[in-house]
Amino acid sequence: MTAETVISCKNAWKIFGADPKKYLRSMPAGLSFDDIRADGYIAGVKDVSIDVTRGEMLVIMGLSGSGKSTLVRCFSRLHDITGGTITVEGQDLMSLSEKELIELRRNKMGMVFQSFGLLPHRTVLENVAFPLEMRGQDKHARRERALEVVKLVGLEGREEYFPRELSGGQQQRVGIARSLAIEPDIWFLDEPFSALDPLIRREMQDEFLRLQGMLGKTIVFITHDFDEALRLADRIAIMKDGAVEQCDTPDQIVLNPATEYVRKFTEEIDKARVVRAGVLAQGQVMGEGEPVEASASVQDLARLLVQDARAVIPVAQSSKVIGGMDRAAALEILLEAS
Amino acid sequence: MADITSDLKADTTSPAQWSRSKWASVLLLVAVVLTTLRYGGLLPDSLHRIPEAMIPPFAAWLDVFFNFVKDDLGLLTLTRTLTEGLEWLLDITANLMFGKRRWPFIGPIPWTAVAGVAAVVGYHLGGWRMALLGAGTFIWTALIGQWTIAMETMSVLMVAAPLAFFIGLGLGILAWKYAAVNRAIKPILSVLQTLPFFTYLLPAVIFFKVGPTAGAVATTIYAIPPMILMTTLGLQKVPSEVVEAGNMSGCTKWQLLRHVYLPSARTEILVGVNQVIMLCLAMVVLTAFIGMPGLGAKLLAMMGSFKLGRSFEIGVTIVLLAVTLDRMSKAWVVRQPVHFERGTPWWRKHIVLLMCIGVFVFFCIAAQFVQVFAEIGRKQNFSQGKEIDTLIKGFLALDPVQNTTQAIRYVLNVWILNPFRDFLLSIPTPAFILLVVAFALSLGGGRPAIYAAIFFGLVALSGWWDRSVITLYSVISAVTLALLIGVPLGITAARSEKWSQRVLLACDTAQTFPSFIYLIPAIMLFGITATSVVMSILIFAMVPLTRYTIEGLRTVPPEMTEAADMAGATRMQKLMKVQLPLALPTMAVGFNQAIMFAFFMVIIAAFIGTQDLGQELQRTLAGTDLGKNFVLGICVSLMALTFDLTIMKWATERKKALGLPD
Amino acid sequence: MNKFTTALTAGVLAFAPMTLLAEDSSDPIVIPVHNWSSQIVMSHVVGQIFESMGNNVEFVTTDSQAVYESVRLGDVTLEMEVWEGAFGASFRAALEKGGLHDAGDHDAVTREDWWYPMWTKDACPGLPSWEALNECAAVFATAETGDKGRYLDGPVDWLKHGQERVEALGMDFVVVNAGSAAALWAEIGAAEADKRPVVVFNWTPNFAEAVWPGEFVEFPEWVDGCDKDPAVGPNPDALYDCGNPADGYLKKAAWDGMKDKWPGAYDVLTKISFTNPQIAEMARLVDVEELEPEEAAAEWLEANPDVWQGWTS
Repeated sequence: MTAETVISCKNAWKIFGADPKKYLRSMPAGLSFDDIRADGYIAGVKDVSIDVTRGEMLVIMGLSGSGKSTLVRCFSRLHDITGGTITVEGQDLMSLSEKELIELRRNKMGMVFQSFGLLPHRTVLENVAFPLEMRGQDKHARRERALEVVKLVGLEGREEYFPRELSGGQQQRVGIARSLAIEPDIWFLDEPFSALDPLIRREMQDEFLRLQGMLGKTIVFITHDFDEALRLADRIAIMKDGAVEQCDTPDQIVLNPATEYVRKFTEEIDKARVVRAGVLAQGQVMGEGEPVEASASVQDLARLLVQDARAVIPVAQSSKVIGGMDRAAALEILLEAS
Repeated sequence: MADITSDLKADTTSPAQWSRSKWASVLLLVAVVLTTLRYGGLLPDSLHRIPEAMIPPFAAWLDVFFNFVKDDLGLLTLTRTLTEGLEWLLDITANLMFGKRRWPFIGPIPWTAVAGVAAVVGYHLGGWRMALLGAGTFIWTALIGQWTIAMETMSVLMVAAPLAFFIGLGLGILAWKYAAVNRAIKPILSVLQTLPFFTYLLPAVIFFKVGPTAGAVATTIYAIPPMILMTTLGLQKVPSEVVEAGNMSGCTKWQLLRHVYLPSARTEILVGVNQVIMLCLAMVVLTAFIGMPGLGAKLLAMMGSFKLGRSFEIGVTIVLLAVTLDRMSKAWVVRQPVHFERGTPWWRKHIVLLMCIGVFVFFCIAAQFVQVFAEIGRKQNFSQGKEIDTLIKGFLALDPVQNTTQAIRYVLNVWILNPFRDFLLSIPTPAFILLVVAFALSLGGGRPAIYAAIFFGLVALSGWWDRSVITLYSVISAVTLALLIGVPLGITAARSEKWSQRVLLACDTAQTFPSFIYLIPAIMLFGITATSVVMSILIFAMVPLTRYTIEGLRTVPPEMTEAADMAGATRMQKLMKVQLPLALPTMAVGFNQAIMFAFFMVIIAAFIGTQDLGQELQRTLAGTDLGKNFVLGICVSLMALTFDLTIMKWATERKKALGLPD
Repeated sequence: MNKFTTALTAGVLAFAPMTLLAEDSSDPIVIPVHNWSSQIVMSHVVGQIFESMGNNVEFVTTDSQAVYESVRLGDVTLEMEVWEGAFGASFRAALEKGGLHDAGDHDAVTREDWWYPMWTKDACPGLPSWEALNECAAVFATAETGDKGRYLDGPVDWLKHGQERVEALGMDFVVVNAGSAAALWAEIGAAEADKRPVVVFNWTPNFAEAVWPGEFVEFPEWVDGCDKDPAVGPNPDALYDCGNPADGYLKKAAWDGMKDKWPGAYDVLTKISFTNPQIAEMARLVDVEELEPEEAAAEWLEANPDVWQGWTS
């Protein structure tokens, strides 16, 4: 990987309790989450090391209480970590003064919240312009910019509405617009669509992908919905009891679960939808005939896999064959799913 | 063996509960023994009452302390400087509202202009009904010939209420931000809320000069506590995500408070504003004792010259003002912002403001040409004072009324109240304290019991024991009677929505009506006797009992009553077995408030003629006896706090046990 | 009437007297008013006299006992009604501390004692003698007092020694203290309904005279020392065995600084003296005619120019 690391998290700990710093120092290595709880502390984030590279979309997923929201709040220093280091664009987060931190948030970070976190007494436009107002931008400029972002998220014509007067989906669009107003490099989204109806959620995910296609930001996205994670992620980190169980591409997580917990988690998943031809392409035997696209999922190729007689099917990425896919292995995945 | 039996017990009743009641019975027994000994003449006098010689001179110590703070530390100089600032503000409002000759020399504002603006604001907040109420109140005030005095009152409230708001808001923010401040403020607030108002009044006079300044200060202090509580509550309730959103938007601490916390706590803060206004109005009459001009002073003067009708009319004005301001501020609380379509012209967005200015200017100009628009003189008004006098006196002279009240007076005084008072006074001090501790223990548990012991012990040491017991006796008698009347009334009213609403409205009115006005009819009906005292407290103490009974019964979860219906319960069974037990914790809150109100009113009842703490307190007002005034006030406060702590503890525990929300 | 112009004129006028008239300060003279009508009207009468001289005047409502402390500190400038019986003690206490002084007596005399409304005489014809009163004590009995009569005394803090007198003269009465003047009126008002006989504490000059005609009970005549020396009075072993003095003083009090700050007004104050009928008339205008105090004062001034114009010239 040559890509530049934006967020680097090394052995980060976040412990809640009476005197977490002291506890962490005196804590013997290898304690489990339950051991720590028995001592009267909660390990919100437990020895997490993870890197996020520029332009990447990292999805952190886990059940509620697994620490995913805590971790993202450590990335933005809404929580101070108890141990380890987190650097953002090379700056050590914990060493920043309050002023520097505010500067960082005003210029580099945006965040979207599960229950939107909108200010009830401000109109859509005022909510969106809020971060600009905080950093002291003049009235005219921030209005221009806010209008632009409101248009981007498709809320044109609702600028003067109050949050109370909008539907849940529209409110979250305001939340998204607000987080984008300062043109952040890093975008945190904490279960942004969980509070929405399934239909709206789907629509919002499409919308989100459209935005990301245009903006290409570095994203940390939190969800407890595996389907959502699979739809959006470049990489997925699965968390349990504050620790990251596995962090990998969706295909790898499905094909090679690192732990029993991850395996159980992925059991119910229709692998044929997740695994793409590119992952199955082996280097040695290229196979012959018409290649398939590397980005096509096994499910997309179902008809071909059943009807084609070739043992190895060539896989191509941008019109260049990168390897051959073992048809039997692919069929196996397809069958396992049904 | 012992372990096993206690374990078994724990299964049926909780062990704490069991030992509590056991200890309480022991204390009760000791108290009974002591009292019996006293009756048998076997208890030495020194155990009956604390000997005079052993009573520490608290008042003198306090005087030394106060004098030190006042003179040596220069507090008086400081407060007198503050007084000048306050006076400047009061002069401005006084000039505007009733034309006192002070800078800026532009008042008085014509009454029509005030009524007009009230109508516009009322319409904006609550439609035609509110507009009618707002305008109607001020038109009534003008027509009845009370405009100037009402505006004298308003001119002080216009300063006191915002002061209370800002101080309360500031302290509320500090208490929310710093746990230490919160810990320090909590007990002070509890004491402040139970301290008799006379105890505020005297220091106010000494430090802030007799007249409107002292009135404004006493009013402000009285109105601050709920503002602090509501601010803290509101700030605590701001959703964490909203705060995080603020943080992520790059707010500094100040920006976070100003743009995120405070606006998000709007509802609670406005509820605080509402309470500030109501408490300010509650002080209108009481502050008249320290020279606050206006409605209160006039009311006292009218009562002093036996003008029932005029007093009654002033009472109505105060109620109308209170109801109007209450309704308007409540409407403001629930009012949510509504957007304007894009391209709405500027004047359309600010139509209310423009209308207000328009109406105001119109009437100001009109008043230049039409004299009645500016003011209504004494001879032009519609006061019906004399007619009401005749009506009231005629009613009181009716034979059935006379006979009934004579009978009630006789039975209550001769058979119940006086013997009860003599009985309470005959109980030796230690036995009395033990009784109170036993009550606190069985109801609230260990902590309230300890407080009860300390608090009543202090009361005994204050040297005002007999008067404290008489105060307590009036409170207990009145609250017991209030229970007997108020609770059944509440239960009956709670059966239908319509009656609940009516009774609650009556409760509101009874509560805002200046309590002084009850005193005269009470005396005329029951003479200068304990019955009058108890009756005037009764009216006040019944209000919360009835209100909370209705509220408690109507908030019983419907599944529970439905389950009772399906189990085939009769109406009575449902009430006794399901509704009342579930409503009991809420009713206990009402009971507690009834006791607090009774402690408040018993002090006012000193104007009928009592021999309790209130009488002594009233007497201190005329002098400069700060120490004695404070000791007496604290005695009332300590007794009230004992009940407050005990009953609230019980209610909270009970609610938790029943799984009801707070 | 043009309000704004008036306000403006008032504003100018507020500064005018400084240059135009005498050497009185333009600061307002602060006059206290209490909660009984004669005092309120008299204060307004005096206030309007001062205003006619070009002074500025302001009224504050104060407690009638606490007012002496305020006069002493200069928070208020004067006090028009210092009753010997009711406020003598507070006045003397303030006098000792310094800061205020006696500004002369009114012609009016004051009296405070046991009193009954006229209808009581029907039930007890021997009145106003106190012996006769004692003989028909049973007529005054209430539910709570058994067969003894009830005497309604003023509030305890007025220190009227009703209890001591009952004991000293061996009367068959129980003394009950009212909590306030209003409570006294309420009792008389209630008694009026069925013409029930009552005996209560009362004083003159007072509005009650106009509403309920009545008389004071005649006790053994006041002798100096009756309250200090047991030997004085009919009972050789007791204090308070006589009636109160029938001619107590009614004084004016002034803040020490008044003389220098408003010499003109001070001069008038020392000359002012009202009589009992004048005071009763002032009270009547408010209590019976139901005028506002300011209007009553204006009316009184208009009707009695000969009384007051002498003081100002």
